[in-house]
This record gives sequence, C-alpha cells and structure tokens, in this order.
Amino acid sequence: MLKAGNAQAMATITIDNRQYEVDDGQNLLSACLSLKKNLPYFCWHPALGSVGACRQCAVVLFKDADDQRGTLVMSCMTPVKDGAIYSIDAPTAQDFRAGIIENLMTNHPHDCPVCEEGGECHLQDMTLMSGHTQRRFQGRKRTHNNQYLGPFINHEMNRCITCYRCVRFYRDHAGGTDLQALGRNHQVYFGRQEDGLLDNGFSGNLVEVCPTGVFTDKTYSRHYVRKWDLQTAPSVCEHCAVGCNTAPGARRDGKGDPRQLRRVTNLFHRQINGYFLCDRGRFGYEYANSAARIYTPQAALTQPLIQTTAGSAKVHQSLSPADAVARLAVTIAQMRSGNRRVIGIGSSRSSLENNFALQTLVGREHFYAGLDERSLALLKLVDRIQRDPRVHSPGTPEIERADMVIVLGEDIADTAPRIALAVRQAARSAQIARAGELKIPAWQDDSVRQLTGIRTPLLVASAERTDLDDIASCRVRAAPEQMVALADVLAQALTAESGEIHAPDIAGLDTGEFTALVEQLKQARHPVIVSGCGLQSQELLQAAARLAFAVAGHKEANHRQTDSREARAALYLACPEANSLGLAQLCDARQNLNQLHRERQSEHTPQPTTLLVMEADLYRQLPASVADQLCAGVDEIIQLEIVHNRTSARADLILPAAATPEYEGTLVNSGGLAQRHYAVYEGSGWIQASWRWLADAAAASGELAGAELSGDEETHARLQSLARWRHVTQLSVALAESYPELAPLAELGPDWDQTIEGQKTARQPHRYSGRTAIQAERQVAEYKPLPDDDAPMAFSMEGIQFACQSPLQANNWAPGWNSNQAIHCYQPKPGAARLGHSSGQPLARKAVVFHSDSAAGDAARPTADPSDGFRILPLYRMFGSGELSNYAGAIASVTEEPFAVFHPQDLELLSLTAGQQIAITESGDRWQLLAKVSDTIPRHCIGVSTGFTQMASIPGAYIEREQIAPGDA
Amino acid sequence: MPGLDPGLRTPLTRNIRGGDAVSLDAYRKGGGYSGLQAALEMAPKNIVELVKSAGLRGRGGAGFNTGLKWSFVPDADQHPGPRYLICNADEMEPGAFKDRYLMERDPHLLIEGMLIAARAIGAETAYIFIRGEYHLAAERLAHALQEAVNAGLLGQRIMQREFSLRIHLHRSAGNYICGEETALLNALEGRRAIPRAKPPFPQVSGLWGMPTVVNNVETLCNLPCLLALGEDWYRGLGREKDTGSKLFGVSGRVKHPGLWELPMGTPIRKIIEQHAGGMAPGYQLRGFLPGGGSTDFLSPRHLDLAMDYDVIGEAGSRLGTGTLIVLDDHTCPVAMVLNLQRFFARESCGWCTPCRDGLPWVVEILQRIESGLGEKRDLVLLRELARRMGPGTTFCALAPGAAEPLQSSLKLFLRDYVAHIVQRGCPYRHSAKPAAEPLCEH
Repeated sequence: MLKAGNAQAMATITIDNRQYEVDDGQNLLSACLSLKKNLPYFCWHPALGSVGACRQCAVVLFKDADDQRGTLVMSCMTPVKDGAIYSIDAPTAQDFRAGIIENLMTNHPHDCPVCEEGGECHLQDMTLMSGHTQRRFQGRKRTHNNQYLGPFINHEMNRCITCYRCVRFYRDHAGGTDLQALGRNHQVYFGRQEDGLLDNGFSGNLVEVCPTGVFTDKTYSRHYVRKWDLQTAPSVCEHCAVGCNTAPGARRDGKGDPRQLRRVTNLFHRQINGYFLCDRGRFGYEYANSAARIYTPQAALTQPLIQTTAGSAKVHQSLSPADAVARLAVTIAQMRSGNRRVIGIGSSRSSLENNFALQTLVGREHFYAGLDERSLALLKLVDRIQRDPRVHSPGTPEIERADMVIVLGEDIADTAPRIALAVRQAARSAQIARAGELKIPAWQDDSVRQLTGIRTPLLVASAERTDLDDIASCRVRAAPEQMVALADVLAQALTAESGEIHAPDIAGLDTGEFTALVEQLKQARHPVIVSGCGLQSQELLQAAARLAFAVAGHKEANHRQTDSREARAALYLACPEANSLGLAQLCDARQNLNQLHRERQSEHTPQPTTLLVMEADLYRQLPASVADQLCAGVDEIIQLEIVHNRTSARADLILPAAATPEYEGTLVNSGGLAQRHYAVYEGSGWIQASWRWLADAAAASGELAGAELSGDEETHARLQSLARWRHVTQLSVALAESYPELAPLAELGPDWDQTIEGQKTARQPHRYSGRTAIQAERQVAEYKPLPDDDAPMAFSMEGIQFACQSPLQANNWAPGWNSNQAIHCYQPKPGAARLGHSSGQPLARKAVVFHSDSAAGDAARPTADPSDGFRILPLYRMFGSGELSNYAGAIASVTEEPFAVFHPQDLELLSLTAGQQIAITESGDRWQLLAKVSDTIPRHCIGVSTGFTQMASIPGAYIEREQIAPGDA
Repeated sequence: MPGLDPGLRTPLTRNIRGGDAVSLDAYRKGGGYSGLQAALEMAPKNIVELVKSAGLRGRGGAGFNTGLKWSFVPDADQHPGPRYLICNADEMEPGAFKDRYLMERDPHLLIEGMLIAARAIGAETAYIFIRGEYHLAAERLAHALQEAVNAGLLGQRIMQREFSLRIHLHRSAGNYICGEETALLNALEGRRAIPRAKPPFPQVSGLWGMPTVVNNVETLCNLPCLLALGEDWYRGLGREKDTGSKLFGVSGRVKHPGLWELPMGTPIRKIIEQHAGGMAPGYQLRGFLPGGGSTDFLSPRHLDLAMDYDVIGEAGSRLGTGTLIVLDDHTCPVAMVLNLQRFFARESCGWCTPCRDGLPWVVEILQRIESGLGEKRDLVLLRELARRMGPGTTFCALAPGAAEPLQSSLKLFLRDYVAHIVQRGCPYRHSAKPAAEPLCEH
C-alpha cells in the first residue's frame, strides 16, 4: 500500500514520438517492458538487475528535440529521465540490435528441433524480435564439452550465448559457489571445476534463468514434450509451508502410462516466490509418478494366500471404485446407526476442504490431526503467536528489504528454502542502501555489488552449520535453551532504559559481538525475526515471540514518526507442511495422535472402531510401537492416500487420493495466507480428491442405512451436507460458515460456474498438438474432455488462453514471448504483482494478545546436568526431510542416509567413530543412523536427521547415554 | 641531498645509463627522493592542486588529468577507512614497451612517484600490478623495493613524518584487459578480470570497496621531478599545449627502432625521421599507428602533427601510449590488421557481446580475405562489425580500441583489401596463417 507521501515519483518520457508517464527511478528497459513494448534483452533479469553485458537492449537517446542522430544507449543501464527522448524503432537501434543477435548466433548451434528449450526459448523469441534471419557468419562454431551436473540439470554448453545470467543467479543471488564462469573471450565456459552435482538448492532455477537451452530440466527430459503440449493450471507447492506458487505441466501419452505429470515451473507470486523455486519444490513432483503411487482402490485380502513376513503388513487386491465406495459406505452406515465409531485422522499436507470433509464425516469430536502431540502443540503455538496484533508475517519482498535479520534456531535453508533465499537478499540491503546514498539505483547490479565490505547485520543462531552461515554477520551454534536465553537478553536490551545487559553464556559469542548485536537491533528500522517449528521447541517459539514484541515496542517508541512502514514487528515462523496452519485451524491441541492413543488405551468399549486415515502416515508421526498399538486397537483401518506407506500397508481399504496438482483445494502457508491450488490434469486410474471419496460414500451410506437410520440427527445432517457437496467451492463456503476465521476462503477464487463471457479457462495452450491422435490406436474419435466440477477451467484447448483475461491461466505466454519471460506481459511493471492474479487471502484470525506461557516447557528434564545425557537437535535437509518429495526419484538419488551428528568429544566419550552405523533406542523404537562428526555442533547434543523416510523424528528432547549403541554393520 | 638542475629536459630518463637498474645510491646522487621531500613539506591537497594545474595527463593512453583524477577521492573524514594506490604496470598494448623500460632501468623513480601519489591521496597501501611476463622488471622492482624499505623510504614513519606506505608487487596472471583499471581491480581482488560498471568510480569505491587511484607507470614517474622542480618548470617541458615530457617509441621498418624521452608535442616527423632515423632503406612509409595497436591509422600526410593528446585526437586517432607502429610498403596492411585483431579477440574478457563474438568474426573474415577467399560483401560486414564495436556500444574501451585500426585501415588501405579479393590472394605474398589454426587458446 502506498501512502500519499510515499507515492512513486513519475517521469514523463518520449519514446518514438509518443509521451508516456512512467515510474521514475527505474531503468529504461524496465519502463519499456512496462509499456508492453517489445524490446529484446538477455542479461537483464527483473530479480537480478542490470549489468550491461549482452548489449541487446540498445535504444537511441536524443539530446533534445532538435537532435536527429542521437546516441545508442543500453536501456537496461539507463535510468529513465524526466523529459528524455528515446527511440526503440530508430534504424540505428534496430540495426544494432539485429547485429548483436547476429553476433550471438555465430556460435549458437542450429539445433532447435532437438533442443528442449525449443518453443519456450527466450533466444528464439529475441532472434525473431530483432529480425535476424540470414546467417552471414561463415566460420566454424566454437564447441565445448558438457558436464554431468547431477540428476536435476542437463548441461549443453554449445548453446550458450554468454549472457552470464546463470552465474549471476547461482552465485550472486543464491550464494552457490560451484558453478562459475571459466575461461575468457568467446570461449567463456559456465560450469563446475569438474563434473558433479550442483550443490546449491536453487539450481533448478537455472533452467528458467538461462535464456536458451544450456541448462534444462533433466527430470523433464525423461518424459519430454514441448511447452505448448503441456496443460497447466495454477498450483501451490506441497513440499513445505512457504506456499510457493507453481505451474505444473502435464500431458498424457498414447500408451496409457499413468505418469502424466511432466514438470513443475515457477508461477510468479510477488509476495512469496517471486521468480524462483527451490529444488525440492521443482523436482519433488516426481512423487506423483512414483512406483509407490496408488491409482486404484485396494482392499486387504481377508485370508491372504501368501503369508507375509512383514508381520502386520497386509496383502492388497484392487477393487472397483464402486465397490470401494460401497465398503466405505458400510462403515459410515454403521456409524450412522450408532454401531461403529469412526475416528478421522486429518492431514497437514492435504487441503482444508479435504480435512473439513473428513471432519464433517466423523464429527469434530472424532477428528484428530495426523500429528503427534508435540508437532500439533507447536502449530497451535505458532497460530497463537501470529494472532498477536504486535506481529505480522512478512512476505518475501519485506524480508529482502530487511535491515536486520535474526534467525533463531530454524534451518530455513532446509525447511523453508525460499525464505532463506529472501534472507540471502536481505544480507545485501545495507549495500543497496549505501548505493542509494551514492545515487546508484538498486538495479545497477554490478555497481551495487562493488560496494563490498557493507553487510546487513544477520544473526544466525542454529543447532548446526546452515547454508546461511556464509552471509551471517554473527553466527551462534547452540542448543534451543541457549537460543532462548539469547533472544530474551536481546529483548531485554531493547526494552531496558539503561543498565547492564550481559551476554548469555554461549560458546563463540563474545561480549563485543553481543554488544554489536544489541546496537544493530536498536538501530534497525525493519528487522525481521525468523524462527519455526524445526527445533521442536515451544520455548524457542515463545522466545522468538517475546523478542518480536520487544522489537514492536521499540519501533513504536523510536521510529514511528519517521517511517510510514509497518509498525508491527516482522516475525516469520516456519511450519513444517503445506497446510500445517490450515489443519491447526480445524482442531485444538488435544486432537493429536498421542492423545488418541492414550484414549484408546484407557477405554475399552466393545463398539467396533474404524480408523479413517486421510493422507497421513501414522508411522512418520509416532514411534512404530505406538502406531502399532493404535492400529491393533481398531477393527478397521481405511486410508485415503497418494502413495503407499507404512500405514497403507496395514490398511484394510485404501482409496487412491489425488495429489496436489490433481485436485482443487486450499492450503494455508506459514504466514497464514490461504491459497488455492487447481487441478492441473485429470489424473490416472481412479484417483479423486479425498473429499470426493468421502462425499460419495456418505451419499451411498444414506441408501444403505435406509430405514434403520437411528443415529443422532446431527450426524445425519452432517452426512447429508457432505453427500450433497458437488463442487469444492461449496465446501469452502461451508467451511467459512463453520469457521468464521476461515471466511476469506469464500473469496479465494471463482466458483466452478463463474465463466468469463461464457468461456472457461483453457488448460491446454492454443498450440496443443495431437489431441486427436494421442489415443488413435484405441479410438480415432477425440475423447470428450472430462468436466471440471470445481473450477471454471477446461481440460482442453477451448477457452480463455491469456493470463491477462483469466486469473486461472497459468500458461505464461504472450504474442512474441514464448518463454517464461512472458510474465512481464501480465505485470504492470517487471517484478510487480501479476495483474488479476489471485494472490491468496489471509485468514481472518481474531487478534488476541499473546501471553508467553512459561508452563509450556518442552524440555523433558532440566538442562543443569547434561553430562550423561544428550539433547536431541533435529536437523533437516532439503532433500530427505520432505515426506512426499522423498518419493521423487531424482531427489531420492541424492538424499543422504539418515544420520546422527556428534561433537568429536562426545563421539569419543561414546567410543563411537564417524562413519559407523549407530542405533538409538527410544520408547521401544530403534533408529539406525550413520554417525557423523562435526565440531560445530554444541557439546552434549546429537543432531539427528529429521523427516527422512523412516519415522520422522525421535519423540523425546533428551536421550540417555545408554540409549545409544553401535548399530548393525 | 643533491638538488635537481632546473635545466633538466629528460626527467624520466635522466638516470638511465646502459642496461642496468639504477641503484638507490645512484638514484639519490642524481637528486632522487627530493621530490618526495618536497611533497612531504606540502599539504596533500596542495600536491593534488599542483599536479592538476601542472597539466599532467595519464600516460596509460586515456590522457585524463592526473590531479583531477586524484581530486575525486573523498576526504578522510567523509569516507574513513583505508584507501589504495595502484600502479598499473600491466603494459600489454601492442607496440608499447615504455613502462618496462622505466621499471627495468630506474625502479626508484617509480617508487618515489608512488610515494608522492600515496601521500597526495592518503593511501598507506599501494600495489604495483605488473604484467606477468615482465620478469626482469619485477625482479628489479622487488630489489628496489627492498632497498627502499631498508633505507626507511617505505614502511612506517617515512622520513620521520606521519606517513607510511607499503608497496606490494603483484604479478598479473596475464590478460590485456587487466590494463583497464576496473578489470585490474577485479583481478587484484581475485575475481574474474572483467571491467566494472561505473559509477561508482574507483576513486570512490575501488579495491575492496575502498577509494582507490589507479595510475600508469609513466604517469607516476613524472611526479618526482614535477614536485622537486615545480609547475612552471614542468609546463616548460612541453612544446605545445600538453605539458611535460613523454616517452615516444617507434617500431616497424625504420632504421633505428627505439624509445626516446622527448617533449610533449614533438612532431611525428621529427620522431620518425630524426630519432628513428627514417624508414629502412628500400621501404616507404604507408601509414602508422600513433599510439599503439588500439589507435587509428594515420597516413604520411599527418607527419607534421604534434604528438599532443588533442592534436592527434582531432586528426582522428589517439596519442594512446605514444608508441608508434610504422607500416611500410612491403608489408600487407590486411595481415597487419589481422595480426592485431587476433590479439584483441584472444584478449577479450568475454563480457559483452560486440567484443566477445564480434572480434572472432572479424578475425575469421580477415583470415579469409588474407588467404584469398574473401568476397566484396565481407568489406561491408567488416565495416558493420567495426561500427558495432564503436564507443558507447560496448562495455569498456577494448573493442572500440580494436575497431580503430580496423576501421581506419578500411579507409586508408581499401585498395589493398579489394586487391586481396579480386586477386584471390595476398598481393604481398604473405601467407596468412592457416584458417584451421585455433583462434584462441585459454
């Protein structure tokens, strides 16, 4: 929101004899693109700024109205000037631009037909735009060897036009070090020193940043089709709680292969992901195609022909969807008639609507979050803190502009990677501010980066080394208790009038550093505090909140008059799953799996009980022994699931659930923003959204129960409404009615029948090919497209094609702009929010002042004498800690094995050696882990890989020395 | 300390006798370090003023007023922290060998010049960024630096004043572009040697983000006598508008190729005919590059021009480094230009398109023309390519410099180009290097 005093200054410029009002302070290229003028460029990128390398965006600048010749200037390097006269169309400019393309093409191979960039290639677009059609170069093209860069990215250096965007993104923006520009003259080589996996978690963006086909998506290569043959829809990434917007692409093939999802690309969202995604988000999609995918309903054989060795694991057999619905309907009918109890277990990775449907089916009192006690308590705490009117959750642009960042305990590089990328930009905000003093605009990237030696204060307090350490001005490695102390002393220093503040006793943090921190925090106008659920410490979350409140108070007292920006403190709390906060809205802290387990243990009702588990793996949340007991204690387990897991192995009935890109639903991200994702493709087999299975069964159960409907009326009414829902938007409305704080859901997107001038939005581009041929071996006639009951979108080419006409159009395309660079055609100005795009709705949570709750201690025992016990510090990995992405082949191939990190002295104390397998036993469970050594982990702590394929985490905060033993070789 | 004779006309080469380096003792005996003495008596900003008004222009080729350059360094109270002086000794301009001469023969002259410049801008750390191939110069400089340290002329409290300076000798990994001052800064910081965007200018944010001045060897060598003998004396050295003396060199088929210290503004004819002894017997002058490989060809009708920055500029070329390359009537101009373009194409840093991809193309075309495979339309293309590398269209001055001999040769020696094409070969019977030879090696 722009306040009057803050309004953007305007400049009037003349381009080719027409006058325009443009935002002052920007560069001419950005202004021309804002005016929707076709001006070609390569090295410039809205998020990377200008460096003037490619010389492609040249225009003519005239001294005054009498100047007829003018001089060539690079528009990306030229600030717009009020009253200035430019020409894009002047012959000198056009000739020069055509010449630059001609120069670039001297080395570019003519391999468009076999190049995967073809059809969405910025170089193709720019070549056409510049009018270079005839080759005059007669020499040999220079050639390079390509490198193996890991399972994600292909490398084809012969196509390189040396725009330097890859290294500018990879090194300057994302902090990578292993990709570099090598060599000189026309043989500059962008690659690694030697073959190997690109070790930065944002490497996938090279695919989109590269204007041509040097870096392409290797996972896409395996089932490649042209961009114009992909159908797409707006989606939200399901692999963490940041809520990045994505545009997955899908296409069926003629062979009946169910694996239709082909790739994921970025969908611009100004407040969240901007132009970039992390690699888990980009390559994690493969889970939807994985061998573990469930496509048909399956029932456990009652008398298995083969005795399994896996104990409780069952042997399953496919059954028809009608039979599956009928079986679920029987269970529901029994519930309606009061003869069965059905316990619903919801999911933090599934949509609000799915969870709400389950809750509606089983009733609120029988609905449990598919989370253990500790995880749910953390989420509820995050929710309570965010309700406090003194804090707000900052968006990515606000984090990027922060003048101080304090990261408390959360390894955001692995749990909320896109936020870490934003923090990395914040590290440069001081440099940009200094540039401003020198009258250098922020977009003059090379100029700004010359101002070395100036860094934004950035405190990174973490359990172990993190990927942000290289930009931290102060690094603290400590156990959560010490971080709490640090946060509290900082808060105290902010609020205290005077008096001595003593640095907390943390190894590596000396008084001088601490005093500097206090001073920096006092000076900071826009500090951002980042923490989260990662360390599984309620104390830490509370301490982060207390620090944020102190910052808010300090802002109020000191900077109020001088600044119109946000008075609330910026506090970003990272949650674990895509809909963690959404699920937290539907249940209270008691509705967790441990509570359910306790309840089941204590009561012994003769009533048969069904566990209806929706998109949750009990064995990830609970120790196997506890999960086993929970499963053994019920008569029936029914699971709605996307991929097979340890819970589905025990299920009596499995219903195939749609994955995020296959259905429409709403997810609430860590910032409390509700966002809708849409079905990108129809899906294969008998998959459908979980709520549809439930609604179908509810409808069928009515007939089954028939006359003997004796249950209470409330249950009956609930099931009737569930049975009536046909469109997901109806659920959203019902949700909004049931939960007033979720009321904004009703505004999220168009209803299924809200067409635009009678048209739906086409998922397939207007150049989609082969739709009549794709199944020709079975049927020559074109199949009737499946209807979409949830959104006004068509699974066909028919309908609205342009993103400017429909907010649901995720295909980035505009005439002349076939590559992803077309996005600027739908922005008022490069980098600005997309026109008409639904950017989500914040939940209408009631503001409640948070009172720090000292009783909510999470330490299982005092920290006084840790000498014979160890603090468990959960450690995360971008590849390995995501439940669904672990099913993605490329990601799985680079995931480490589960590990435990020890301080060298602790390792010695335990007579263990690094590289050895060790076993940790807790609550009857056993974790086999690879022992690693690190001198940066605090003493008396063990860093344990968390969220890996086995049980996600060790339940306690401490373990005794006796619980650690050498493992199996 | 002996004073300097105000009648001195060759302040740069006054100590040089024979091929050995002038030792510290000999340098001092010849009035050495009296310029520093004078500088230490002055307020730093007065040194800047003096150098500015004396009209000393950068001898690296651009000819920018040295004192003016220094004056952009912000005051210490305005911009606290270190500031740096860098001597650009990365002499790689084709045809230029003047800096090497100074460094090999009279290293203390450079050291004294650097002391004065450092004093003027407030630098306590200085670097000599020397071309990697200049082994002898580096050796002799290292020796001289040690002599100066031992004599207390470098280090803390120099001459018992609140003035200290450390000079580091940094040997370049070798790249023509390092002569561009901002690429030099990147190279010195361990980054890729590519030019930086301006602003900020190095005087404001240079080495490691600190105020930095980069001066050429010869420029710095002008300082000791200027300080010791004063502005009026210095102005009196020049014959025309430009002040001071200059090392002028001549290479090519002249009787005595070499290097001479002469007044600024010495006529070209005098340099070539008198000092270089005129053309070698049997050879006629066809043209010359007045300031090294990256300047426009001038023709014999320009022989009476004065070697002054503005005079040569007005004639359509540049004074550059002041080292002339002479083209005779037995040498193929196309082959000469090809040779130069090969150099520039190889030395392109690879940052901006017209240079990186344009120069190899120029080489490809020239190779074809030289080997008899040229076509008339190639001449159109060459002109186009040269225009694309014109000033303002590229990121730095390398490509415009490369374009200068190319475009001027297309005017001056058009007949030769056409003859190559029409006769399907080189009329001078030079065999062009075979096209298969790799253009560039890393």
